[in-house]
Parts: sequence; structure tokens; C-alpha cells
Amino acid sequence: MKKFVAMMLAAVMCLACMTACGAPAASNVSDGSSIIIGGVGPLTGDYANYGTSVRNGMVQAVEEINAAGGINGMEVVLDFQDSAADPDSAVAAYGKLMDNGMNVFTGGVLSGETASAVAAANEDGVPIVTPTATADAAIVGNPNTFRICFTDSSQGLASANYIADNKMADKVAVFYQSDIDYSVGLYTNFETQCAERGIEIVEVQTFTADTATDFSTQINAIADSGVSLVFIPIYAAEASTFLTQAQGKLDGKIFFGCDGLDGILGKVSDPAVAENVVMLTPFAADDPDAQVQAFVTEYKADNGAAPDQFAASGYDAIYVIKAAVEKAGVTTADADFDAKVVAAMTAIEVDGVTGTMTWGEDGETTKAAKAMIIHDGVAVLYTAG
Amino acid sequence: MIHFLQTLISGLSLGSIYALIALGYTMVYGIAKMLNFAHGDIIMVGAYAAIVAVFQMKLPGLVAVLAAVLVCTVLGVTVEFLAYKPLRQSPPLTVLITAIGVSYFLQNIALLIFGSEQMASPVIMKLPALVIGGVQIDGITWGTLAVTCIIMLGLTLFINKTKMGKAMRAVSEDKGAAELMGISVNKTITITFAIGSALAAIASIFYGSAYVYIRPTTGAMPGIKAFTAAVFGGIGSIPGAMLGGILLGVIEQFAKAYISTLWSDAIVFGVLVVVLIVKPTGLLGKKISEKV
Amino acid sequence: MEKKNTFKTALKRLTTKKNPLTVAMVAVLYAVIAYLVYSGSASRQLSNMLISVSCYIVLAVSLNLVVGLLGELSLGHASFMSVGLFTGCQLALTLHNAIPGMPFWVRLPLAMLFGGIMAAAVGFVVGLPALRLKGDYLAIVTLACGEIIKSIITNLKIFGGALGLSTGPIYSNTKTLLPYAIVLVFLTMLLMMNLKKSRYGRAIMAVRDNRIAAESCGVNVTYFKLVVFMIAAFFAGAAGALYGHNFANIKATTFDYNMSIEILVIVVLGGMGSVRGSIIAAIVLRALPEMLREFSDYRMLVYSIVLIAIMLLNASPRFNELRGRLTVKNIIAVLKKKKTPVEETVEVTAGGEK
Repeated sequence: MKKFVAMMLAAVMCLACMTACGAPAASNVSDGSSIIIGGVGPLTGDYANYGTSVRNGMVQAVEEINAAGGINGMEVVLDFQDSAADPDSAVAAYGKLMDNGMNVFTGGVLSGETASAVAAANEDGVPIVTPTATADAAIVGNPNTFRICFTDSSQGLASANYIADNKMADKVAVFYQSDIDYSVGLYTNFETQCAERGIEIVEVQTFTADTATDFSTQINAIADSGVSLVFIPIYAAEASTFLTQAQGKLDGKIFFGCDGLDGILGKVSDPAVAENVVMLTPFAADDPDAQVQAFVTEYKADNGAAPDQFAASGYDAIYVIKAAVEKAGVTTADADFDAKVVAAMTAIEVDGVTGTMTWGEDGETTKAAKAMIIHDGVAVLYTAG
Repeated sequence: MIHFLQTLISGLSLGSIYALIALGYTMVYGIAKMLNFAHGDIIMVGAYAAIVAVFQMKLPGLVAVLAAVLVCTVLGVTVEFLAYKPLRQSPPLTVLITAIGVSYFLQNIALLIFGSEQMASPVIMKLPALVIGGVQIDGITWGTLAVTCIIMLGLTLFINKTKMGKAMRAVSEDKGAAELMGISVNKTITITFAIGSALAAIASIFYGSAYVYIRPTTGAMPGIKAFTAAVFGGIGSIPGAMLGGILLGVIEQFAKAYISTLWSDAIVFGVLVVVLIVKPTGLLGKKISEKV
Repeated sequence: MEKKNTFKTALKRLTTKKNPLTVAMVAVLYAVIAYLVYSGSASRQLSNMLISVSCYIVLAVSLNLVVGLLGELSLGHASFMSVGLFTGCQLALTLHNAIPGMPFWVRLPLAMLFGGIMAAAVGFVVGLPALRLKGDYLAIVTLACGEIIKSIITNLKIFGGALGLSTGPIYSNTKTLLPYAIVLVFLTMLLMMNLKKSRYGRAIMAVRDNRIAAESCGVNVTYFKLVVFMIAAFFAGAAGALYGHNFANIKATTFDYNMSIEILVIVVLGGMGSVRGSIIAAIVLRALPEMLREFSDYRMLVYSIVLIAIMLLNASPRFNELRGRLTVKNIIAVLKKKKTPVEETVEVTAGGEK
């Protein structure tokens, strides 16, 4: 009996924990004065930089929209929850957002957490506009889901086509991260399309998150292969490490990457290491377009660094939601808010910082990608030859 | 042959960083008999300290190194005092969990202060590259190797020849008996932590020079690799930690170069398992006879 | 002879004092939760956490068998879970495609059983080094095995490779999965409780306390060590298969040493060998980060501080003395405004029974 009470107290505490988060939700019916946009993403842990970028972009868009009078007169409230890149936490966070009365969801930042959160959201019918989950399967199975970014398959395909169309190289080497879906997804589709277009992949080198510090062996192997172009479907953080270590060993080679590379200039210690990096990306911080520059200037002022593709997609996601809600002409007080916003998604065209976007029934967007090349520390539009 | 040598050099380069980290790790591990999972995060703090010293306070390189050492030593001793000392009588696993808590704490504090974006470390060691037989050895590689050797010799001498070292060995063997012999166990362990953390600071300087980019989670991987290296070489053995670290790096690079980069993680750990099954107390570990 | 009596003795043990209390506590907890969930008054956050928390309870209780009862440090428990998850969910997906009419209540238990058996097979292999190695050397080998398993699953096309296994077709929500989770938790809990008190449990603890003495008394150390690893892996695997059904995409990289350590934290916090402790610690530690969401950016920082504080408090003799006084007798005494009888025994170890 000695520990009986201690144990009972613990049990009561457990129940208290449970019922504390178990208290019924404040109910989802809003009065139409505000619209709650919920998001989930890694703000702590290994992938914190991606989640933070997306949130920064979203915060900026929300501030701009509220300063201009909100959406249909409703004040926009952003509720962004941390997932630490864990689907488990992301699904719980989604529950928390629903309890908080979320009206529109932006899914997760990474594909894995997005897939699970989107599946959990299926029964609720809440409209989902997800900024950066690129895996093809991430939004399958929930008809209310739309995405801002390209899919892995379309990017891998477009990269191989671009290299072939512009006759950039016949023989290429690939360097990718074998334990993340983005990198593997791009590589697999690139490989398939290369076979189609007659590009020969002569060297494939990989790394994992656990071995992402020392790339000397891989760099030596790529140098030995003698190719003139290296396809690097990886993220900017790892790419900066790779390029820094490749300096002096792979000089003169073209490094071809996709939207994950965006923001590389802000990440490298010395712009010279990013020389000859070509990015096939819908967004480029150095794009002279007025809208893009306005976004970039404002972002720099707020966050002290240039926005990357994650921030740009987060920024666009909010504006896409605004466009859809305005098109639907509803407020959160309407009972058919969800259905009308979802229906409006396929009818809108949004000119965002990541390009002009329209959506199909499958939730995928169509937009143009620009190829940018970095010369002397500046990204400029790539011109063949 | 050139390829082989090249791989060997890159293996030594990676391995010497592992070894340098493992030396500090094994110091605490061997004497205080605790798995300090926060060791890697102290390296991360050291790296950030160097960044702040050089880029924000504009201090010269050598002063920045001293600043990093100072910050890490103070941090190590403080953590020991606040989080580990009250647990002196607790089972080792309790201390292990507390160390994990400290590790989370340091990572999240760094995340709040420095943000999630990576920062570039200053290159403090600018050493000329050596060219031997057509193979280039980077300055940082032989620099790390040399410093690791010096530290290993220094530590071995310190532990075997000085009075403090003797006290440390005594504490490591039997805390109770050491106390009875008039050794202050608390003081000895505090000094162990101070040395271990100072070594972490030195490791952070070399880590930063070699791999440039630092993030709040940078310390996690080196921490676990140092733990692996220390166990691989034999718990508490200082030359063992060095050998374990270097072997770990060399095996990793050879697996990548000659077998497959896809499977290199599995191969490294596979070798580790096989070696430990053959030699259950690590490469240079003492064989402990069981008391009946 | 022995086998015939096992059931009877098990029943008898159920009626001993301490364990029924734990069982009752868990039963009441789940009854309340099930009522909340099925009546629709549970918050979404709570109901989205339930399956995961239940799985962590199973993981912690089963790891406690290795760490608490056998006394071996294992840093690879998450990998057993991942083996069960990927094999079990792959089986469920195959069955889902091959026999569309197969009822869920057949498919899921089959997947859990299959996942558990596969994990137990891997547990056997990982348990082999445990015959030769001890302490931190074994810990590093279990960690290494976990990393090898992670690496293999990440590179295997059949499990979706690095893209992860798309479990979308077999995805089920909390309302569907909760009964299975409850059954699994009860099975694990009852088995562990009875094992602890059976002659097998005593043999295992004898191996922990003094291997040589146990061996000389005729305890087959090899057999018991392997069996413990296999049972622990079986339950982790079964929990994994259940866990996988609650998500639409699962990657092997989630189940790395960090997750194994997280399970270990639960076990240590709950107390070595204590089933009830593991259950409480699993709930508290899993609920804590969710409850701290109000702290937004400071969430994980607060979590780490709370974790350190709990460990320090648990080890502090003063706190334990205080807790030791919190017995029914003392409380009744206080209520009757009598002088509080002082408890003589003071716990020293971290919240567990030795």
C-alpha cells in the first residue's frame, strides 16, 4: 500500500493531462470576423531551418494581407505548430489546430509529415493548401488538398529534359542524399528520363544524414569520372557543404540542381564556391521581377537573410488561400466554407513569387520553372551555350 | 594506388576528427563512468563561441580559440555541478537520461539564440597542404592528426604520471575506496569535466575548420560517433579512443570508396559489431575478470 | 506439470495486491478515454495522440523486460518496432490488394502477429551478441544493429526505400484502432506482470543480479537472454504494425537511435522493472511535449528543463522522503488530525522498485 497514493496521484495527473488536452474544442464555427490558417512544420530538430523559413514566409504574407484589410474583411490569424519533422507530432499538432478552430490548413513542410496530416484531415473536409511537400504521394487520397510546389517526378523529369534540350552534357554524374524522399524521388525520376533522352549517368554517389559532413570520397569519385555536369538533387544546406569541400577539386563543372538548392548563395561561406551552380526553380531571390524583389526586400528586413524557396512557397500559400476564399466569396461564418473554398481552388489563377499557378482536380499546379546560373556570386538567368 | 592513398588520407582526415572528439569523451566516460550524451553539444557550443568571437567581437584567431576553450570549460563544469553532481549516488542510467536532457537543452538554447540556419565557422587554422608521392594532404588533415596525437600523449602522461592523474584513476576504479584514501571525488570529477570540455572546445575549432557549417544540431552526430569510437577502442582507454576514432573514419571512407556509398553506414556498424563480438572489451580495453 | 498450472497460477497472481491495482488503473483510464473518443467529446489533439501513446506504452513495457529485468542496456528498441512496422504493414497492404473483402478485424491482428514474429526473429539475431557482451559494449552493439536495420530498410525497394512506405490504403483513424491498441496494451502488461512473478522471471532476474551464481544453480543463461530479447522484440514489432496503420507514410529513418533513447528515457523514468512506472512515464513523457504547445518556440526548451528537473527530483532523498510519506495510512492519519507516523523506509533509487 505504500505507494498507493503516489501511484493514484500519478494516475490522476495522467488523467488531468489527458483531459486538459481532452477538453472539447472551442467549436469550429467561427463568427466570420477572422480566418484561422493553421500550419505544421519542423521548428526544432534537424530540419528546423525549413520549417522556420516556411513560417517566416507565411508570417510576412499574413502581415501584408492584414495591413491591406484582410480576406473578405476577415482578419487572418496564423497558427503554426512545431512537428520536429516527426509525423507523430505533426498529426497531434493537426488535432491541436482543429481544436483551435482552424479554417484552412497548410499541411506540413516535409512530405512525410504532410502525408500523415493530410490523411488525418480527410474526414474533416478542411481545405488544404500545402506549400512544400514535393513527394508525389503526399497529397493523394484527400480531394481537398492542393499544393504550391512541383512534384518530385515532374522536377526529375524536367531536369533531364532541360539538360538534353540545351545539350548541356551527354554524360553526367549524380550526387544525392539516399535517406530523404525529396532527393531520392528526384533522382529516380531523373534516372528514368535520362535513359529516355540518351543521357548516360556514369557515376552515382550518395550520402545520408548521418554522414553529411565529409564528402571527400564522393568528390574524388566524381572527379575521377571526368564528367562536365553533376546533378545534385539535394537541399541547399547539404549542397553548401558539398560545394565547399569540392572547391579546387571539381572546378569548372556545372552543378545542376532543382528548387531545393534555392537560397544557396545565402548559405555558403564564400560565394565563389557556388560558381556554376544551375538551379531549375520556380523561385529565385535574384529574379528582377518587381513582385519578387518587393518580397525579398521585405523578407530581408524582417529576417536578416534572403528568402529561400521554402519561404517563397509559404508566402505564396497564404496568398493562394486568400485568392480562393475571395473567389468563393465566403466568410468563416458560412456553413459551406470548406466546400466552396475547395471548389474555388480549381477556378483561380494566382500570380505569386513562385510563378503563375492554376490547379487541376488532382491538386497539382502547373507553373513554369526558370533555370538560373550562379556567376561571380550572382544568380542570373541561364542561357544555353 | 593513388586512389587507395587518397581514400586512406580522407579516412585519416575524418578519423582524426572523430578521434579528437572521442578523446574528450572517453576522458569523462572512463573516469566519471557516465555516458555524457551532451559532449557533442558542448562541441557545438564551442563552435558557436568561436563564430561569435571572430565574426562579432572581431577577436584574432588564437584569442578566439582561448575564448571557445573558456566558454566550454565553464559550461562543462556548470552542467556537471547543476545536473550531474546531485546524481552521484544514482544508478548510471539516471545520469545518462539527465545527460540527454542537457543535450536537448543545449540544442534548443542554441536554436533560440542563433536560429536554425547554418552559420559558417571561421577558418582559424590555415596550414599549408603537403604533397607526398602525388597525393595531397590538406593542412587541416595533418594539423588535426598532429594535434590529436599530441593531446593523446599529453593525456596519457597526465593520467599516468601526475598526482591528479593518479587520483583520477583511483576514482575510476573505486569511488568509495578513493574517498577513503583522502581523494576528493567531487573535485576530481569536476576537473575531469573541465578537461573533457576544454578538449571538446579544441575539437570544435578543428571541426569548424574542416566542415565549416555549424547548426544547433551539429553536435548530435559527432557525439554518437565519439561514443562509438570510445567503446570500439575500449572504455576508458585513451589510446583506444584515438585508435577507435581513426579506424572508424578509415573504415567509413573505404566502405564508401570501394563498396557502396548506399551501404556504407551499414558496413561501418557491421564491422563494429563483428569486432566487438570477437573482442568483447574493445580493441585496447582491459579484460575484466569476473568476481565470483 | 508446469505448463498445466501456468494458467491457474497466473490467475492466482492476478489477484495479488499490486498488479490488479495497476490493471484497474489502466482499465479505468482507457474506459474514460474510450468514452470521450466515441462520444465525440475528446479533443482532436487527444484522440490523435492515443494510438501513438498506446504504442509507446507497449514499447516501454517491453523494453523494460530487457533493461529492467535482464539488466542489459539496449539502444536499438526502435529498430524492432520498425521491423514489425514495415513487415506487418507490407503484409496488410498485400492482403488489402489481394483479398479486398478481408475484414479489418482479421487483417490488422494478422499484420500485428506477422510484424511481431518478424521482429522477434530479428530480436533473436540481435540477442546473440548479448551472450558475449555486457554493459556499454552491448549498448553500442544494439545501437549499431539498429542503425544497420535502418539502413537496410531505407535501401529496400519493397518497403518503399527512402520515399517511405505509403500506408495510405490501410490508414485508419483512432476510432478504428483504439480497441486493438487497448487489447495490445493489456496483453503486454499482463504478460510482463506475470512473467516477472513466474519462475521464468525469477530466473531472468537471477541472471541480472549474478550471472555466475544463476548459472551454477542450473539457469540456462543463453536461453533466457535470447528469449527475453525475442519477447521484447515481438511486442515492439506488434506495436509497430499498429503504429503504421495510424499514418499515411512511414520512413525507416524515423526509427533511429534517438527514438530508441526516447523509449529508454521512459523506462528509466518509470523505474527499472516496474510495469506501472513504464505506463505512467510513457503517458507523461508523450503528453508533455503536446501540453507544452502553448509555449510555442520555447516548447522543447521547457521540455528539456522539465526532463532534467524530473530526474533530479526523483533522485533527491528529500523528495523521496516526502513521497514516501504519502501513504494511505498517513493521509488518513492527517485527516483524523493525528500525529503523522513517519515512514522509516526511504527510497534511494530513481522512482522504481529494485
